[in-house]
Amino acid sequence: MSPVFSHGRLRLYLLKLLEESPRHGYDVIRLLEDRFMGLYAPSPGTIYPRLQRLEAEGLVTQSQEGGRKVYRITDAGRQELASRREELDELEAEISGSVHGLAREIRDEVRGSVRDLKQELRQAAREMRREQRHENRSRRDRAGDHHRDWWDEGEGFDRRLREVLDKTSRALRRAQLTEAQLRECAAILDDAFERIRQTLKTPDDTHHDH
Amino acid sequence: MGTWTLDHPDKLTFDEVRRVLVKVVEGSVSVVGSDDRPTLELSELSGEPLRVRDHGGSLTIDYERPWRPWPLAWLTGGVQRRKAVLTLAVPRDCRVELRVVSASLMVGGLQAPVEAHTVSGEVTLTGLRGPVEAESVSGPVQASGVTGDLSARTVSGDLTVAEGGGGSVRARTVSGSVAVDLQASGDRDINLSSVSGDLTVRLPETSDLQVKLQSTSGQVSSAFDQLERDRTPGRYTAWGRLGAGTGRLRAASTSGHVALLRRAPETTL
Repeated sequence: MSPVFSHGRLRLYLLKLLEESPRHGYDVIRLLEDRFMGLYAPSPGTIYPRLQRLEAEGLVTQSQEGGRKVYRITDAGRQELASRREELDELEAEISGSVHGLAREIRDEVRGSVRDLKQELRQAAREMRREQRHENRSRRDRAGDHHRDWWDEGEGFDRRLREVLDKTSRALRRAQLTEAQLRECAAILDDAFERIRQTLKTPDDTHHDH
Repeated sequence: MGTWTLDHPDKLTFDEVRRVLVKVVEGSVSVVGSDDRPTLELSELSGEPLRVRDHGGSLTIDYERPWRPWPLAWLTGGVQRRKAVLTLAVPRDCRVELRVVSASLMVGGLQAPVEAHTVSGEVTLTGLRGPVEAESVSGPVQASGVTGDLSARTVSGDLTVAEGGGGSVRARTVSGSVAVDLQASGDRDINLSSVSGDLTVRLPETSDLQVKLQSTSGQVSSAFDQLERDRTPGRYTAWGRLGAGTGRLRAASTSGHVALLRRAPETTL
């Protein structure tokens, strides 16, 4: 995930909440919800990765207590918070001072978490598609029937056709064609086209032709 | 009862607001549910003064002279701008209707019906329990924690639903992508469609849905093995029943990919 995501602020709040006292993850969520005046409640799926990241950076530590994870701020975390105290105070003032500040903060928060989600889902879908294609390909290889290629690619016939045409025209453009080669390639393409046309002819057409 | 004309940033409070209609052009409009007295905060204004009318708890915020896009404005550079940044705090059972051109919209923490229409602005929805209708041409629509029925339409804007609660979801787009992450799924109707945008849905492990996924030239893939799959040129489908099949999930695209993902069990904190 890209570091430009907007959670810089959330990160500060998490540190601040943990500076006040060690807390369970669910306490953190509840307190954040209060902060946003019940308008926005981040899910465990949003908070958990952030806490993990903070832990990886050495700003918080985590321990198991009574079957739940408890998060604690470290000295490094306190330092980080101290160095950004001004920024934090500013934000606090902005949020408590006006509905506008609060609304903007919520919007930024939702925007950030939605963007993360979108990226996560897109990535997962892409991986699933790749796996599925791969699976189909190996099944096809086993069966050894080449024509399934055009369907099993899962990209649709049109797309596959366009791909082949693109590749062909790229290859032709790249090569320094001699006159003879050009004639040969043109003949192959003409031939292919003619054969496809023949294949697609309905029995009726064939009848008229002969 | 009353009418105000605002020509600079200002703050108004009202006794009672049961309905809000906002029609502005550029800037941003936020409406949040609150237990305090209803307020309107105008934090930025340029161009035309804003008119606020309170008619027995029904609040209308707009311009006196209607805005007309001037086709040749870009030529002369003399674009008439109407920008307003406003935030409303209203009771949670207040109905909200927003109609803007390029302003971004945010609505949060309400239980009553919400309508948000923008042309090129973004729409952010959070913590809404009533039915929601969102529409945008090119701006993205993003919802988090919307538990009421959600209906969203865009032309090219992306549609994202995070923490989709128990309500129905209806999303239509031409070229935007649709990504929907659903929490508990029960007796609900999810209907997504696009022309070229990808459709992605993530469901909890245990879902009770009758599923039908379809794409004409895109790829259809599913993480649920119990679905049947069929491929012919010009039609790629997957269908079947998950769990008790009490709800319905339909996702259809012309050339976009359709993917059904499964969420790993909820992370514990």
